[in-house]
Amino acid sequence: MTKMIWYVLSPLIALVVGILLMGLSRKLLARIHWRVGPPILQPVIDLIRFLSQKSASHGFLFDSGLILSLAGSLVLTLFLPLGQYTPMSGSGGLLVILYVMLLGPLGIAFSSGGAANPYASIGISRKLMLAMGYELPLLLIVLTVMTGYRTISIVEVVRIQQAQGWAIATFPLLLSALAYILILPAILGMRPFEVVGAAQEISSGPVVEFGGPHLALSTLQHALTTYIGLSLFVNLMLGGGSNPVFFLLKMLVVFVLCLCVHAVFPRFRVDQAIRYLWRWPALVAMAGLVLTVLMGG
Amino acid sequence: MTGVEIILAAAFAGALLTWFIGRTSSTAGSAFAVAVLLALTALVALLHGRVYETVFYRGFLGLPMSLRTDSLSWFFAMATTVLAALSGIFSLSYMKDRKNTGFFNTMLLLVNAAMLGVVFSGDLLSFFIFWEIMSWSTFLLISFNRGQGVNAGLKYIVMSLVGSMAMLVGIGWLLGAFGTLNIARLSELIPSASGGHQLVLLLLFGIAFGIKNAVMPLHTWLPDAYTEAPSPFTAVLSGMLTRMGIFGFLLILYVMAGAARVLHSPGSTVPTYNVVLAWLGAVTIVVPTFIAMLQNDAKRLLAWHGIGQGGYMILGMAFGTGMGLAGGIFHTLNHAIYIVLLFMSVGAVQHRTGGVRDLNSLGGLARKMPVAFIGALMGISGLIGVPLTNGFVSKWMIYRTLILGGAPFLAFAALIGSWGTILSVYKFLHNVFLGQLPSKYENVRSSPVSMKIPILVLSFAILLFGILPGLPLKVIDGIVVSFGLPSLDVSLWGIASEAGTLNTVNLFAALAVGVLVVLAFVRILGRSERVGQDSNYSAGCGVPRDRYNYTARYYDPLFRMISPYLKDFFSTLYDGLARGIGSLCEAVRMIYTGYVSSYVMYILLFISAMIFIHLTWNPW
Amino acid sequence: MDRNQLVKWLESPAKMGHKYSLHAVYFCTGCGIIEVPPSITARWDAERFGVLPSASPRHANLFLITGYVSVKTLRAIIQTYDQMPEPKYAVGFGSCPINGGMYWDSYNTIKHLDKYIPIDGWIAGCMPRPEAIFVAVTHLWTLIDKDMADGYKRYRKHYAAYRANQEKALPGLDWPPLFPLEGSE
Repeated sequence: MTKMIWYVLSPLIALVVGILLMGLSRKLLARIHWRVGPPILQPVIDLIRFLSQKSASHGFLFDSGLILSLAGSLVLTLFLPLGQYTPMSGSGGLLVILYVMLLGPLGIAFSSGGAANPYASIGISRKLMLAMGYELPLLLIVLTVMTGYRTISIVEVVRIQQAQGWAIATFPLLLSALAYILILPAILGMRPFEVVGAAQEISSGPVVEFGGPHLALSTLQHALTTYIGLSLFVNLMLGGGSNPVFFLLKMLVVFVLCLCVHAVFPRFRVDQAIRYLWRWPALVAMAGLVLTVLMGG
Repeated sequence: MTGVEIILAAAFAGALLTWFIGRTSSTAGSAFAVAVLLALTALVALLHGRVYETVFYRGFLGLPMSLRTDSLSWFFAMATTVLAALSGIFSLSYMKDRKNTGFFNTMLLLVNAAMLGVVFSGDLLSFFIFWEIMSWSTFLLISFNRGQGVNAGLKYIVMSLVGSMAMLVGIGWLLGAFGTLNIARLSELIPSASGGHQLVLLLLFGIAFGIKNAVMPLHTWLPDAYTEAPSPFTAVLSGMLTRMGIFGFLLILYVMAGAARVLHSPGSTVPTYNVVLAWLGAVTIVVPTFIAMLQNDAKRLLAWHGIGQGGYMILGMAFGTGMGLAGGIFHTLNHAIYIVLLFMSVGAVQHRTGGVRDLNSLGGLARKMPVAFIGALMGISGLIGVPLTNGFVSKWMIYRTLILGGAPFLAFAALIGSWGTILSVYKFLHNVFLGQLPSKYENVRSSPVSMKIPILVLSFAILLFGILPGLPLKVIDGIVVSFGLPSLDVSLWGIASEAGTLNTVNLFAALAVGVLVVLAFVRILGRSERVGQDSNYSAGCGVPRDRYNYTARYYDPLFRMISPYLKDFFSTLYDGLARGIGSLCEAVRMIYTGYVSSYVMYILLFISAMIFIHLTWNPW
Repeated sequence: MDRNQLVKWLESPAKMGHKYSLHAVYFCTGCGIIEVPPSITARWDAERFGVLPSASPRHANLFLITGYVSVKTLRAIIQTYDQMPEPKYAVGFGSCPINGGMYWDSYNTIKHLDKYIPIDGWIAGCMPRPEAIFVAVTHLWTLIDKDMADGYKRYRKHYAAYRANQEKALPGLDWPPLFPLEGSE
C-alpha cells in the first residue's frame, strides 16, 4: 500500500520541488544582483495568472505536443529514485530513463513546430543542437556508470553507491562526475548555456507562442526538467539518498552551486557551446570510460 | 495445402500474368498485382511453423536445387510479402497517371517473387539465381524514372555485380571444398572446417551481403538509388530488399558457420570476423546519421537513415548473444515498418504537391494532409525509438546487450547515433509538415484512400509492436532457438531478465495515465481559442503572406562545425576508381582504330618484335 | 499591498494573480523605454512587485507604451496588443501618447493613443521617473481590485469604432479583425 502511494507522491513532490526551485532561483538571483527579488512563491502566482487567462491555440498538434511533453516528464519522475522510493523500478532502468527524457523536449518541439512561428523554430533548432552537444558527454557518463557498476538499473546504481561510497568519491568515476558537473548547466538550461530561450534575440524561443494555459503547462514542464536533471545527477553521482529529505537536500546544494554560475556568467553562442561541450567535458568523460573499462577488465 | 513451391510458382506466374493483363488495361493490371500480393501474403501466412525441405530440380550441373522453409525464412518471407502488398496498394494511386504502369507492376511482383526465392532457397545455387533476378529487376525499377534514375541504377547494378561475383567465387570455392551446395548439409560441414576456409568464405559472402545491406565502406549506391526510385518501390527497396543482406549474414553466420556455437570456441575465425563486423556496424550507424543531418532532400535524408539503421542490425547480429541477435532481427522488422511508412508519407506529399520533396520549399502540410502527417510522425518516432514505438524495444535490446556484454564503446556509437537521428528527423518533420503553409499549397488535397490505408496500417503496427513487443518477439525467439542459442524470457509485454527488465505495458499504462491527468487538468482549467497561422508574434510586424518559416540550413552552426569532416570519402574513391577504369578501357579501345592499315602495322610490328626477340634473346 | 493575505487569494485567485504577476511586453515603442532598464534592474527592482519584462506578448498582460507613437509604431502596437491574452492592461507612459506632447503638430505622430487601443492609465511627464512606474502599478492594482481596469472589455465592446480609427490612421490594414465587427459599436 505504501508503495502505491509513491506513484502519486513522486510526481507531486517533483512538481512542487521543481516550482519551489524556480522560485528560489529567482529570489537567489535577485539577492546575488543586490536586489530584493520576488517572493519565493512568485512562480505559483504566475501559474495562477496563466491558468486564469485564455490562450491562442494554433491547432491540435500545438495543444497535444505540450500535453505529451508534460505527461512524459511526469512519468519520468516515476523511474527516478526519490530517496529509497522508486515506483517503477522494474520497467527498464537507465536506458528507459534516457529515452523517456526525450519525450519532454520532443513534445515541446512538436508543439512549437505546430505554432508556425520562426522564432519557435530557431529556438527548437538551438535546443536540439545544444542537446546534441551535452548528450555526447552525458551518454559517455551514463555508459561509464553502467559499465562500472555492471548494471542498467538505476536502483542498483544507487544501492551500490550507498554500500561502497559515492561515485564522485571513487577513482575512475570521479572523472565522469567532473564531466557531469561541467555539463549540468547545459542540461538545466542555465547560463552559460542559456541559448534556447534567448529572450532578447528570439523572443524566448520555443515558448514564444504559448500564452495562458499553454504557458502554464510549459512552465510546469520546465520545473520538472530542472527536477529531473538534478535528480539524475544526485542519483548517479552523489549516491541518491537514504530517504527523500536527504535526497532533496543534496539536490538543493547542487542547484545553488549551478545558480551561482548562472548568476554571474554571460552566455555562449550555440556553436561556442557545442564546441565547448564536445571538447572538455567529452574528453574527461571519455577518459573516465576508458579508465573504467581498463580497470574493470 | 500450401507449399514453398506453390508460393514461388504463384509469385512468378503472377508477375507474368500482370504483364499481359497490364498490356490490355493498366487499371486491371494494378488491381491484379495487388490481388496477387495479397494472395501471396495469405499463402505465406499459412506456412507458419512448418520446417521442411524439398528438391524441385535435380539436373543442374548434377546439383540438386531445393527449397526449404524454417522460422527464419518464414519471418523474412512474411515481412516481405506484407510490405510488398502494402506498397502495391500504395502504388495504386501513385502510379495511376504515369506511363508504363504495367511494367512497374510486373517488376514489383518480380522483385517480390525473387525475394521470396532468396529466403526460401535450400541451396546456394538457387540462392544465387534468385539473388541475381532480384538485382537486375531492382535495377530496372530504380531506373524507372529515367534521367538521374539511370545513373543511380547503374551505380547500383555495378556494385551489386561486384557483390554477386564475390558470392559466385565463394560458391565455387564451397563446391570445390565440400562437394555440395545444400545449405543444411553445409551447416554440418563448415563449422568443422579450418579457420582459413571459414575466413575466405565469410569474407567473400560478406562483400556480397555487405553491399546489399550498405555496410559503411560499401554503401555508396544506396542514397542515389533510394532517392531516384519511384516512392512505392523505394518503400520495398528500403524495407526488405536491402535487408536481404541481413538475411544473408544470418544465413552465412548462424545457419552455415554456426556462429552461435563457435563464437566462444578457440581456433575459429568467426569471432574475429564478428568483432570487425560489429565495428563496421558502429561506423555505419554514426557517420550516415550525421550525414543525414545535412541533407535537403526528403528522400535522400531518409536514405542516409536507411544506411544508419542497417548498422544497428549488423551490430546486434554480430555481437552474437541471444538478446543481441533477437534485437538485430527485430530491428530489421521494425526498421522495415517505419522506413516504409516514412517513404510512403513522402510519396503522398510528392503525389499531391507535384513531385516536390525539397525540404526547403515545403511546410505546414500537417493541416492539409493529416494522414500523411500521422504516418510521418509515427515513422520518425519509431526511427528515433521514442518509448512505446517498436524501434525503442529493439534498440533497447541492442543497447542492453552491448552494455552488459562489456562493449561500452559500441554502445556509445549506437546511442549517439540515436541522438543524431533526432536532429535530422525533426528537421524532416518540421520542414515538410510543420511551420507555415506556403500559399501555393493552399489547395493541396488530402491523400487518396489507397495511400491512407497502408499509412494507417503501418502506423498502427508501430504502436502495436511497441506496446506488445511479445507478438513478433515470440517468432524471433524461435529463430534464436533454432540457431542453438538459449531462449529469451519473452512475454507479451517485454523481456524479463535478472540484469534488466523491460516492461512496455507498464510504461504504456503510466504514460496513458499521465496524459489523462494532464488532459483533465487542461480541460478543467485551460481555455483557448483557435487562431490562424498568420496570427504569430513577429515583433509587431505583419507576417509575410507567403513564407514565414525557418527551414533553410536548419542546424547551421552545427552544420558549419561538422560538415568538413563528413565528406563521403568512399563515394569519391569509388567514383575515382570508376573513372580510372573508364579511361583505361578508353585507352585500350584506341588500339582498334578501324583502319586496315593500322592492323597490318600491328601485325608487322608484332612479327618484327618476335623476330627481334628470337634473334637477340638467347637464354641458352 | 495585500499579496500575503491568503484569504484574498482564496476569494478571487484570478484577480490576485493578475495583480501580482504583471508581465510587461518588452517593447521599445519610444524614447521612454530608457526608463525601463533601471526600473527592472538592481536600482529599482520591479521584480519585487512581480513586474517582469517578457519577450512575447503571448506571455504578457501589461503593455507599457513608452513615449511618442509614430504611425509606423502604431501598427506594431496594435498587432502586439491584439496578440496579448485577456485580461490585459495598457498604460501610456509619458506625455506624448496622451496628447502628442512635444510632437503635438507632427505630421507623422499619433496624438491620442486611446483612440486606437484602450488605455487603462496614464503616467504623465517627460520623462516620468521609474518611481512613477511603481506609482502607476499600485494604481493599476487598485483599478484591478475595483474592476475598473476594463480596457480590454471596452476594446471588445467598441471594436468597430477602434477598428475604424485604426483603418483611418493606417490605410490598408492587412490583418483580419480580431473580433467580429457586427454587434460591436
